[in-house]
Amino acid sequence: MKKTVFGGLCAILLGCTSTFVQAETLRLANHGQAGIDAMKSTVERIEKKLGVKVEVVEYPAPDKDYLSKLLTELGAGNGPDLFSMPSTAAVADMVDAGYLAPITTEINAWDGYKNFYDVAKKLAVSPDGETYVMPYMLGIQEIYYRKDVLEKAGISTGQPKTWDDLIARAEEIKTKTGAYGLLFPAGVSWGSGAFDEGFQHLIVGSKTPQIVTDDGKLDLNGEGVKDVFNVYKTLIDKDLMPVQPLLGPEPWVIPKYELFPAGKLVATTCGSWCYIFDWGRESKNPIPDVTKVVGTWTVPGQTGGQFVLANLAAPWAVNAKSANVELAKKALLEIGSVETQVSYAARIGNIPASKDAASDPEFQKLTELVPIHAAAEKGTFLKQAAGFGTVAEGVARATDALLRKEVDAAGAQKILVDYVKETLGDDAVK
Amino acid sequence: MAKTLQERRAERQLMIVLLPSLLLLLAFVIYPAIYSVYLSFTNEALTGAAARAPRFVGWRNYTRLFNDAKFWNALFVTFVFVLGSAIIGQFVLGLVSAIALRRRLVFRTLFSSIILLPNAAPEVVAGFMWISMLAGGDHATLSRIVSFFGLPTADWLQVFPLAMIIVVNTWRGIATAMILLTAGLSTIPQEIYEAARMDGATPAQMFRRITLPLMMPTILLYMLISTVSTIAVFGLVYALTRGGPGGATELISIYIYNQSFTAYQLGYGAAVAVIALLVSLMLGIAYVRAAKVEI
Repeated sequence: MKKTVFGGLCAILLGCTSTFVQAETLRLANHGQAGIDAMKSTVERIEKKLGVKVEVVEYPAPDKDYLSKLLTELGAGNGPDLFSMPSTAAVADMVDAGYLAPITTEINAWDGYKNFYDVAKKLAVSPDGETYVMPYMLGIQEIYYRKDVLEKAGISTGQPKTWDDLIARAEEIKTKTGAYGLLFPAGVSWGSGAFDEGFQHLIVGSKTPQIVTDDGKLDLNGEGVKDVFNVYKTLIDKDLMPVQPLLGPEPWVIPKYELFPAGKLVATTCGSWCYIFDWGRESKNPIPDVTKVVGTWTVPGQTGGQFVLANLAAPWAVNAKSANVELAKKALLEIGSVETQVSYAARIGNIPASKDAASDPEFQKLTELVPIHAAAEKGTFLKQAAGFGTVAEGVARATDALLRKEVDAAGAQKILVDYVKETLGDDAVK
Repeated sequence: MAKTLQERRAERQLMIVLLPSLLLLLAFVIYPAIYSVYLSFTNEALTGAAARAPRFVGWRNYTRLFNDAKFWNALFVTFVFVLGSAIIGQFVLGLVSAIALRRRLVFRTLFSSIILLPNAAPEVVAGFMWISMLAGGDHATLSRIVSFFGLPTADWLQVFPLAMIIVVNTWRGIATAMILLTAGLSTIPQEIYEAARMDGATPAQMFRRITLPLMMPTILLYMLISTVSTIAVFGLVYALTRGGPGGATELISIYIYNQSFTAYQLGYGAAVAVIALLVSLMLGIAYVRAAKVEI
């Protein structure tokens, strides 16, 4: 009998101990192996500094699947303590859902934040005025073009001044080289990229450069939205951008990794990572002397102006229902360190949000990124609002219909508006 | 009449044996089904304000659903997919394989193994394998084969999306059909065929008058299993087309997924799932009645 009681007490004690140990374990959800590798030294630092065990969980790599899994777990109340997010567009909705813990006080009191670019800080502020994400990396995007192909064909490499100018350049490329002149990611298969890497570039330079009204509604019936779809329509109808590959299951593979390196696609939107991963030293199909033969243009506005798009790249946040929110917030500040930023830059190719990164010896080795980092503050962005995730999906559907030549620009706009209204309700759209 | 002690004990033992299955069914089938019905009357979502405070919306999801052209498109696509792949493709090819493999063929075991192979690959792996076969225009394996014979190539998943997913699902389901139908064929006594042969019946007559009628219960059982499982096909088609292009292969299962995990509208997704469940249930009842089997 005594043995039984003793055994029972031991079991209870063991249970309590394991519960205690669990409470001191932080679970991190990360996006892809490169991200996990980038976080390796940070994880060790967090464990050492905070005296906790960090469990890193790799979630599915495609953005959409990653977000679905993350949201399902957060909704069920068993999400990870800390997680990265694939797109800035998802943040406002997750704030509305109550999934993210506010970090305004902690981040403003943190010394490291003072040297972050203002554009990163602004991007991190949610519509309610609070900050919920660590904006430690920036995705800086513009148009990348094959300088060598243009020079050989006697085509100007000068900065296009307007949308018409850009389209005329693409037409000239098609006529003189037979290659596709310009690509804006589009279609359902490209997922959130149709919005993040395509639509956003154009809408910020359109007649209606923001799609959120002061009262938080989505202004999707504006003239600018239709004009943006008209650019896609023109490129597609005139065969200036590749269409068939974009309708397949991995739409980026043929244009970005085959056509562009072969000079059969001459210009495309892309981010800083392209110099390293898509066509540079880490690519499976590298372009020799990539920084010399591939130049960049800012995206021209509809009637003028130049735009470089800035997004938060995979921002990290704390689960509001984490068993230890305070501890998770401390770990989040470690993720924001310059060391982690540089580690991510080296493995993912995004731009550190801290100005201090410029003097980091490891970052200086990333010669492709140094000039982009210096100019990051000039980035333009869309004001965020709840429902942006839905808008991104609506843009993907609308551009998919354009790719299949089923609709004109007005038809594409109707698809977007109808989808957002169906999903969020009529009141969400102005 | 009062039950004897032995009968009561037998009943109790039966209940004990059935209890684990009942509990599992309750936890993983009945409860989720009831919860789905409840969800379908709310605006529950995975993100946004509705995720924080979902509310009861009455019949709104169902009203929206019946006015949603994409829902009707998904139902139609599912109908054609089930008809083409399960009822025609898998059944016909499965029956032909079952009959052929009853005969003494050279390499019979090899043929049986080849027919069973599609089931060995996980459905997503099979989906990606077929992508390399069908996607990529001139680069696709099928395009290379047809161009070898001087025929025009195409981006098969874009030009003939529904036909292609029917072919792929037929390929994957032949083995199941063959196994079930082989079991049905083996229940027909050989003496009947011998007697028919002595009476001068041709092979076609024997098939029409003996094989088909005697196999009808097995065929109906196969149809029931195959129809319901094909309505639920998801991974294979999702890996191949994700429901595109433009909803051309958006089966009801993919539509439910898209509403629940792409648009994050769990309430509306649940309403669609409830309708899909009712459709499967009605088909099941129809088959059971036709087969006159007791469940």
